[in-house]
Amino acid sequence: MEKPAEAAAVTDQKMKNRYLTLALLTSILHARGQDSTYRHQRIARTDIEVLFGYYTQDGNHSAITGGTGTEKLRVYSPEFTITHYRDSAHTLTLNGGVDIISSASMDNIDFIMSSASRLSARTHGSAAYSWKLRRSNTRIAVQSGLSVESAYLSLPLGASIEHSNPSGSQEWKASLECFFDDLRYGWISKEYFRPIGLIYPAELRDTNWFPNYRRNSYNFSFSFYQAINPRMQIAFFPEFVYQKGLLSTSYHRVYFTGSRFTDRVEKLPAERWKLPLAVQLNTFAGSRTIIRWYYRFYHDELGITAHTLQLEVPVKIHPEFSLAPLVRFYTQTAARYFAPYHEHELKETFYTSDYDLSRFDSYKAGLTLRYAPQRPMSPRYTFNALSLRYAWYKRSDGLAAHILTLLLELEHSRSHPLHEGFDRKGINHSD
Amino acid sequence: MLIIDKRRLCALTGLILGCCLHSCTPVKPYQRAWLNDAAMRPGSSGIDKFDTNVHSIREGASGGGNGKTSGGCGCN
Repeated sequence: MEKPAEAAAVTDQKMKNRYLTLALLTSILHARGQDSTYRHQRIARTDIEVLFGYYTQDGNHSAITGGTGTEKLRVYSPEFTITHYRDSAHTLTLNGGVDIISSASMDNIDFIMSSASRLSARTHGSAAYSWKLRRSNTRIAVQSGLSVESAYLSLPLGASIEHSNPSGSQEWKASLECFFDDLRYGWISKEYFRPIGLIYPAELRDTNWFPNYRRNSYNFSFSFYQAINPRMQIAFFPEFVYQKGLLSTSYHRVYFTGSRFTDRVEKLPAERWKLPLAVQLNTFAGSRTIIRWYYRFYHDELGITAHTLQLEVPVKIHPEFSLAPLVRFYTQTAARYFAPYHEHELKETFYTSDYDLSRFDSYKAGLTLRYAPQRPMSPRYTFNALSLRYAWYKRSDGLAAHILTLLLELEHSRSHPLHEGFDRKGINHSD
Repeated sequence: MLIIDKRRLCALTGLILGCCLHSCTPVKPYQRAWLNDAAMRPGSSGIDKFDTNVHSIREGASGGGNGKTSGGCGCN
């Protein structure tokens, strides 16, 4: 009985060896087959962001009527941003959007009493191109665009350079952005579609208050990021802004003391510098909570000194879902040329009753919900995230606002066979 | 008074900067899991953009790492 059993065991062992040999042979042949079809590929990625903002406010200090009257305003603001990463070195960003503004106080430029508030729109678009310098962690970017509304045309031009150390724990960026603005009315008005001149309040159009209609702004900004430890990083944002030209808004009225009939158009100096300096500290506390501190000091030519403090605490309640409560406190001193309705003296050189330049505190509280599944919707499209934020904003002069923002983030990726000039990392060395 | 405030501000900024940079420890690339989280990114995030625009219009101050400081009317 033992001999047949031994013979069967030997036969089983032989069969196992044969199967094993066959399997190894097949895998070797299969591997060779893969080798013959292997191709280097670069992945081109495109990030798509769709942002929709809704803003509504109400207050009783409209600058158009000299610091008194309704400030009721609604803004609907859809915006699209497409960032195309051709490879790891070249990036192209396109942005475009429209702000549709329904403003009750704009009616009062002409004292039009309509049932519906006047609608105006701002259309804007921009393009930016950046490239990484060969064999370095330095990136250079240039950008330009156009922003146009009925009484405003802005042409921005900018350039920046950024550098990070090899470990990525330290990074700095310097940028210069220039805005060349034309404040004449008529750019996208139905009647003209060309600039016809500055727009003044209806009763003040017998005088040409400002000979100049241009405003140039130059922003020099610098940012510096430093990782303090694996859970904390700090960033500094010093900035300097210089503006020259027509800094007044030509349809803001100012009423003076003494007479009901002495009113003029707002007048501000033709030059202004601004000096914001901000610091941000982000910390990962525990395994689910992030604390984001932000503080900004600001001082400018008009005499405004401001402090901003913001705290945001994103909490990951699920790997795909997070909640981020937000509080913000802001305080500013008044511009030296500000006075309320009917309180300016006729002897003053510069004057404004715009409460955005008055002394006030503001408070903001909000909540952001973020759902980030990063889930493929199709072989090429990935649904990265959907964020929704609501914020309530209150100013100590009585202005109150609600801000609602929705952000959808998608990703499109596509692989391309590498051709001559690209290395295996997808960096183009033929430039 | 303004000079004292400026001195205090500079001293406070220097103190914070000194403390933070002094306590820096090298972070290796494989230790960046926390730092690479989307919510840890410095600067403003995509959803801040609209709020930042509102603040730059409704308040005298603007800039400081969170959006444009000029260009566009914002005069309504």
